[in-house]
This record gives sequence, structure tokens and C-alpha cells, in this order.
Amino acid sequence: MRSHVEALMYVRTAVNSSLTLPPETAAPSSRRVLLIAGALIIAATYLYLVLVQPTEIAGGPGSPAGLITLLGFLGGGALLVAGILPGLTTQAVVLMPLGIALNISFGQLAGSLGLPIYVDAVGTVLVAVLAGPAAGAATGVLSNAIWGLFNPFALPFAAGAATIGVLAGIAARWGMFRRIYLAPIAGLLTGVVGGLLAAPVAAFMFGAAGTVGTNAIVAAFRAMGDTLIVAATKQGLTSDTIDKLIVFTVVALIVYALPRRTRNAFAFVRRHRVLLGQPSPKPTAGEPLRPERIPDEGRAGEK
Amino acid sequence: MRVRRRIFNPLTELTLAALFVVLVLVINNWRFSLAVLLLVVFPAAVTSGRAGRIAVVFGVLVGPMLLFLLLLHGLFFPEGATVLLDLGIAAVTAEGLLFALSMGTRIAAFAGLLLTAVLSMDVSELLATLTHRRWNRKLVFVLGAALGLAPLVSERATEIMKAQRARGLVVTRNPLSKLRALVMVGRPLIAGLLIDAGDRSRTLEARGFAGTVPRTSYRADTDTTVQRTVRWVMLAAVVVFSIWWYIGRAG
Amino acid sequence: MISLDLRSFRYDDGAGLVDIAFTLPAGDRVIVVGASGSGKSTLAGLVAGQFDAGQGHRFVGTLTVSGERLTFDGSGSDPRIDLGAWGAHVGYVGQRPTARLSMVCATVAEEIAFGLANRGVPVERMHALVQRIAERVGLTDLLERDPRRLSGGELQRVCIAAAVVGDPGSLVLDEPFKGLDVTGRRDIEVLLADLRQGGTSILQFEPMLPSGVDSGSRVIMLVDGTTVADGLGVVEGNGWLGNGVGIEGVLPDKGSPSAWAVTKEESAVLIRGLTFSYGEDPVLSIADLDIHRGEAVAVLGPNGSGKSTLLQHLNGLLRPTTGTVGVLGQDLRGRSTGSLAATVGYLFQDTDQQLFEATALREASYGPRASGRSAKEAEQLALQALDDVGLADVLDAHPHDLCFRQRRLLALASLMATGPAIWVLDEPTVGLDLRGREVLAQLIRRHTRNGGTLVMATHEAAFAEAVCHRGLRLEGGTVAERLQY
Repeated sequence: MRSHVEALMYVRTAVNSSLTLPPETAAPSSRRVLLIAGALIIAATYLYLVLVQPTEIAGGPGSPAGLITLLGFLGGGALLVAGILPGLTTQAVVLMPLGIALNISFGQLAGSLGLPIYVDAVGTVLVAVLAGPAAGAATGVLSNAIWGLFNPFALPFAAGAATIGVLAGIAARWGMFRRIYLAPIAGLLTGVVGGLLAAPVAAFMFGAAGTVGTNAIVAAFRAMGDTLIVAATKQGLTSDTIDKLIVFTVVALIVYALPRRTRNAFAFVRRHRVLLGQPSPKPTAGEPLRPERIPDEGRAGEK
Repeated sequence: MRVRRRIFNPLTELTLAALFVVLVLVINNWRFSLAVLLLVVFPAAVTSGRAGRIAVVFGVLVGPMLLFLLLLHGLFFPEGATVLLDLGIAAVTAEGLLFALSMGTRIAAFAGLLLTAVLSMDVSELLATLTHRRWNRKLVFVLGAALGLAPLVSERATEIMKAQRARGLVVTRNPLSKLRALVMVGRPLIAGLLIDAGDRSRTLEARGFAGTVPRTSYRADTDTTVQRTVRWVMLAAVVVFSIWWYIGRAG
Repeated sequence: MISLDLRSFRYDDGAGLVDIAFTLPAGDRVIVVGASGSGKSTLAGLVAGQFDAGQGHRFVGTLTVSGERLTFDGSGSDPRIDLGAWGAHVGYVGQRPTARLSMVCATVAEEIAFGLANRGVPVERMHALVQRIAERVGLTDLLERDPRRLSGGELQRVCIAAAVVGDPGSLVLDEPFKGLDVTGRRDIEVLLADLRQGGTSILQFEPMLPSGVDSGSRVIMLVDGTTVADGLGVVEGNGWLGNGVGIEGVLPDKGSPSAWAVTKEESAVLIRGLTFSYGEDPVLSIADLDIHRGEAVAVLGPNGSGKSTLLQHLNGLLRPTTGTVGVLGQDLRGRSTGSLAATVGYLFQDTDQQLFEATALREASYGPRASGRSAKEAEQLALQALDDVGLADVLDAHPHDLCFRQRRLLALASLMATGPAIWVLDEPTVGLDLRGREVLAQLIRRHTRNGGTLVMATHEAAFAEAVCHRGLRLEGGTVAERLQY
């Protein structure tokens, strides 16, 4: 019995003696350094690929293009995650696995159906809209990293996925999801950036091999005499814009189909009025003190 | 599951696979890629105890890619000079075929290495190891939950589908009907999972998830000092080799 | 010890609680009883510290836990609760246990230890604590199982174990017996009594007054978000009832006898030589079963006795391994489940999995639409069904924003809208309050009076007796007893 009591004492003393949290503090600068470094590495990798344009398309020995793509994009993504994760709330962290699972299942499905679009960013955009750009970026990187364990072709696209998460989160913050017709426009713009980022990866890592649909597009451009990188870029711009347009629309439909209280429980959604139809934060005068409608049983936790 | 090979800690196996991927990319020669595939991936997969599953997933993922590469570059390769067969808008060129071979072996080695490591791995052992190595608890959670969610998601999808069938949804073989069914299931599925996420985040917080003390693990540490040392040594070796390959060799 | 003095608690959409005060001394038990929508779960969440001014609710009052008194005045400068620290003093077992699993633990033992690991408890102590709690909760044999693959009762015990493994002193349980059979329920009751003996105080929330409350337990009755009665023990007829709160196991009104003359000629369900097995394991074996038009039949038996398995054969969700199932004179072989929706209406045990549309009206219209009605006709049918169950005033509400009774009745309205002659209801009374039971009983009687048929799985003998003509008791997948009411 004594050891039991001791063990319990341990549990009790290990926790904070106070029941309340200190006021919120700003993120330490060490995390900001990681974020900047990650973004710089990704940008530098992209610039390297675009400027140097590794001409050895047939894989001449001695060129580190493939390696630089993989390490630059994946490493930059890892730094971003390292900078973002410690600052995320539990609410955002719990959403991320869900977003990752959605990305992977939708992505695999689109691949196996041979669609010319990827729809592998539904989860990333969903998390970004509900929990903000940082959570979106981390979801993008991690879902490509985890997906990469089963489907290695996803790995080097991690940086592109992070960018899409950031852009989706910013779009949500700017109110692009308050109107259902603005979401596809935001998707289109995100798709342009995404396509430009993904093309060199597709070209230098995998010789632009993708799904049946994307291959057909690349083949068409190649038949017109384009170089692989140009063909891949054109294909990326075509597929990605359509893809992100669809994905943003799908996500808008999903979030508007959510129960009101579930939507409003997300701190990011509340703070930036991401979605329409939210109650005003202040009570209107003359409201009856007695509640007329009582909350839902079994869901009290969500509010 | 019992027949699984258990030589190294999952983290060591993953590191090993990742370093081979780097080597394949550095050396960038179809002969080396093929050698890795035959001499490393093949024996490892065969002895993993899950050879069947690895073979199936490998086939499903890599097979179509190889075929696409062959068709894409075999037929459309404007840079190719040595035309073997002219088909009008398409032409089979020697350079195109060589490029397809080089990319194909690279992709196959890449996928084979990671798939073998992952499919023969015990995920919860990996999570325990990461916790013992003091990785960020949020990262470990996201990794574990993303993989742990899968059975739950499919179970829920089945339940929703059942409810919809009971209310009159008829799914035929027609792909359009299947797509409609997918959309009908997807929306409530995602909504349900998001509602769950709210409850889950509060439960995790109540169980001290937001704490900052180093997290401990219920499972014993299967990692050893030797393996940890070996991982760092291998990493250093690959870095040194890569530098030599790109700079030292030329000079 | 917990002490609450609540002046008001409200969501930004107007709903909330007013004027509730109680103290839960160490080792005591307080039962809060209230109908669906009375604010029980809100109150449970509040005591469990799961509220935050930043998430759209304002709390005015004081909450004292373990001697620390926190005052809230509904402003932005209110203290923010550290849920981790709070959870070390107040354990919370909420509804819907699957949503409370961490999803990263491969075994029950890890799941129970999750909170300890988060607090950095060393491995040996963790093992000792988990072993000890597993013995008390009766989970020792399940420690190596996957928590995502447990039955309802087992899962509930895992959640309780995870909440009390750090010895929090108080335990808040929101409808802990929901969906459990007699055995499962007894196990948890014994466990709670044991915890109380060990000094843990218990705050329990129930939709119906439990029948065997000892006189030492304090009961608080909640109606429309406020306390209407508060006292020790419960004596029947002390004037507490009549607030929409019923007592468990007490028969609802017997109602008028069926006006429909049941005859042997008009068969609704006909089962011959039915067996069903998952792989090699036989799950169900029913030699013969005839149910006629206008008849209401209850299927009783413990969890896992094959009740749901039998029910799912009636609309083809499951197909017999051998034997035949006929519905209204037609063999079900080759008929898809979807095409039967207008003939057999099926209510699932888990209501939340069954609702999949974004408004109540669309939910109820789904069935008629799927069976080929025009949008206008479907809406008419849906409106009629929603009116019948008393949900005509929440047409545009999201199903998940409704209270539990309303959700269950919405699921019922959704199956009624297609006008099926046979109703198959799987545990329709689980978690349902008195008003919900009354509405349900009325609808069932009306259905059978008009020549409809009912097959209902339940573990509540009293309710079965009140609405059914006869019953079958299943045990281990076979009919153990046939009852006439």
C-alpha cells in the first residue's frame, strides 16, 4: 500500500499546483529562427532548380539535382514543422492526424482512379481553414512525410504541400471562405503557386511520371517538343489550378455542413471570422436571462 | 505477425532505408539502383515475414509508374537523337529508353527501400522509441494518430454506408453511382470525425497532453546504445561519401 | 472536494444554465437527473473544467476544487483553466467513449497510462499504477487488447480507468451506463461503489432517476438549465416527478390495446432455418419465426446475444449463411438493402452514425428522395413525419445541434417518412428520457394499430412489456425463451 501512496504522491507533485494557466506569452524567437530557416531553404532549393536547370536530363553522373530537391524540400519542411509544432494548441494538433488521413486516402483514391488531378490536399486545406496557416503548413509537410512511408513519390512534394497549407490558411484569414464563390478563386491562385513549386520535383525526381491523367498531359506537351521541365510545369499549372479549385470548393462545402457549435469551437475560426453565420461575440441588450433553448446533450464538451 | 523479423529497432531500420535512398540519389546510376534493389531490398523483404504484402504494395505503387515512364519517355523524348522507331508524332529513341531505365530503377529502389522498412515495422514500437529519444510529443502524437485513425475511419464509413442503405441508397456497379455514394459517405464521415476531434482534444488536455515535462513511455525501450551510435556513424559516413562524390572525386 | 456556485453560464447563441449550486464532499455521491436538453452535459463539462471564455461561452459564478477557489465574472480577464492540472483533481468520463480515445495507443494498458506518461511518471510506477487500477476495474485480461476494438462496456471501463488512474479525488460521469446491458451496468456500479469506498467523490449525470438510489446519495433535479429539486435519496411520490424526469424500470402507461386484429394469414416476417456465422463462428441460429401484421415483437437478451444480428437480417444488411428470410411474402434473396427502405424501416442503435444530412428536414427527406419521390413529395412526407415526432419547430437545425431525444426522434422520423410497414428498432430507448419514451411508445402503438409491424431489440423488459405483444429472449444466438405479454 505504501508504494501505491508514494506513486500517487508522485503524480500529484508532478503536476502544476495551480489550476489556472498563466496569461498567454509570445512565441520564443528560437522558433521564429527555425521558421525563417525552413522557408529560406525551400526558396533556395526552388531557385537552384529553376536557375541552374540541371541540363543532364538523362541523369548524367555527378549532378546532385535529385538529392538537392529531396533534401532541400524535405529538410526545409522539417524545419518548418519544428518551428510550428511547439506553438500549436492541442485542438490544432488533434486536427492534424485527421487532415493527414484525409489527404492520404483521397490522394490514393485519385491515383488509383487515374484522375488527372490529385485531390491530396483536402485535409491540408481543411486544417488550414479551421486552425490557421501554421497548422495547415505542418499538416502539409507531415502528411507528405507520412504518405511517403507508403508511397515514396509523395516525399519531395512536402514543401509544395506546406505552401498550400499556408496559402489556404491566409485565404481563410482574409475571409475568402466567407463567400462560397470566393473559395474557388482562392483555390485557383493557390494552384498556380502549387503547380510552379511541384513541377521541378516531378521532372527531376520522377521524370514527370504521375497518374494516368497527368501523364497524358505531359505526353501531349512533350509531343509538341517542350523540354521535360517546361512540359511538367505546364502540366503542373493545368492540373494544380483545377485541383486546388476543386479542393477549396469541397472544403468550403464541408465546413459549411458542420454543426454550428462545432465550427465555432475552433479558436482560429472565431478569432478571424473565417466563416459566415457566426453569432456576435457580444450579447444583445434585452435578451432574456433565462435561456430559451438548451444545449445539446452529450456534446457539451464541444462548445 | 509473429513471424516478423526483429533484428533492429524500427528507427534504425528507417534510418538505414533513408540513407540508402540518399546513396541511390547521389550515385544516380541505374546499375547501382538495380544493385540496391536486388542485393538490399530483395533479401530484406524476403526475410521480413511480410514479403507477400510488401510485394503487393510495391507492385501496385511502382508497377504503373514504371509503365508510364516507359511509355512517356520511350515514345516522347524530343531530346533523343538516336531514333529507333519513328511513329509520326511519337518516336522511340535510345536516349528516351535509357532515361526511362534510369528513372525506373531509381524509383523502384526508392520505393522498395522505404516500403520494406515501413511494412515490416511495428508502429507502436517506433512511437515508443521516439518518445524515449525525447522527440516532441506533439509530433509523435500526430504520427501515431494519423496511422491509428485508419481502422476507425473505415469502420465509421461502413456504419454510415449501412445507415444510408437502410434509408434507400442503392449503389450499382455504375461508376457514377459509386462516386455519388462516395460523396454521400464522405461528408458526414468528415463531419463526424471533426466533431470527435473536439472531444478528443479536451480529453487529451485533461490527461496532461499540453504539459511540458519530458514524456515517458509505458513500453520498454527497445533501442540500444550500439544502435544509436551506429545510426550516427552511418549518417556521418553517407555525408562524407556524398561530399567526396561531388567535390573530392572531381578534384 | 468540488464546490460550484453558478449564477449563469451561457453560450453566445443564448442557451445555458442559471442558478445552480452544490458541494460534493470527499467520498460522497451526487446524482444530477434531468431530461434531454436540460443542460446536464453542459454542467458536467463545466465541473470538468472544459470551458473557455475564448470559445464562445460566458460563466458567472465560482468554482472551488481542492481548496482553490476560482471566480468568473464572464469577462475577458477570467482565469483560464489549466485542463491538465484540473484533470489531476477532477476525472471526467464523458459520453461517446470512442471520441475520447487517444488513437495513438496500441494497447489498453498504454491508453490507461497515457495521462501518466504525459506527466512524466517513470515507467515502473506507471506499470504499478496501471496494474492496480486494472485489477479494480476488472481490465487485467484486456490490458494487451487494442482499445479501438472493445465492446461498449469494456470501453467504458477503460475510460473510467484512464480518468481515475492518477487518483483525481473526484470523478464526473456523464451517463456512464448508456448502452450497457444489465451485466455491464452492474460491473460499473460495483466499480463506482468501490471507488467511493476509497474516498473518491462521484458526480453522476443521468437522464432518468436510477431505481436503486440509496438514501445517502444526494439527488439534484435539473429542468431547463436550472435546479428544481435537491435532496437526499428518493422516495417515490415525493412530488419530484412530473418534471419530465422518469424513474428507470417503471412501466410507461399500458395504453389502449391494439385495435388491429392480428391474423395468422397476413405474415410480415417469415424466417426459416436461419443461421449466420462470421467465418467459422456461428453467431445466430433461428429455426423458425413468424411475425404478423399488426404485431409488435420484442427481442431481448444480453449484449452480444445476437439481437442486432437478427435485426439486420430483416432488411438485408446481413445475409443468412443458410436459411431464408421473407418480408411481406417476398424472399429477400437478391433484393438490395436500399430497395427495401420503403418496406422495412431500420433504426440503428447508434443514432449519431445514422444522421448524415446538414438539416433536420433534409435528413427526413433523404429516404423518400432515395426511393424515387419528387423533391416536393419528399418534403411533404418529411414534414409530416417530423410533425408526428414533434420536431416541426427545428426543421433547419443541424442534427448534431439537437438534444439527444430530438436526435433519436429525428432518426425515427427519417425512417417513418418512407412509410415502411415494418419497423425494426435496435435499442430505441437507450439514453432516452421520459418524454422521449412517451412519444416513442405512442408512435409504436399507432403504427401497430394501423396494421404495421414492429420488431424491437431492447434490454428494457418494462418498456417491451408496455408496447409489445410478445417477446423472444435470445441467448448465445438462439431463442432461449418465448414470452407473451
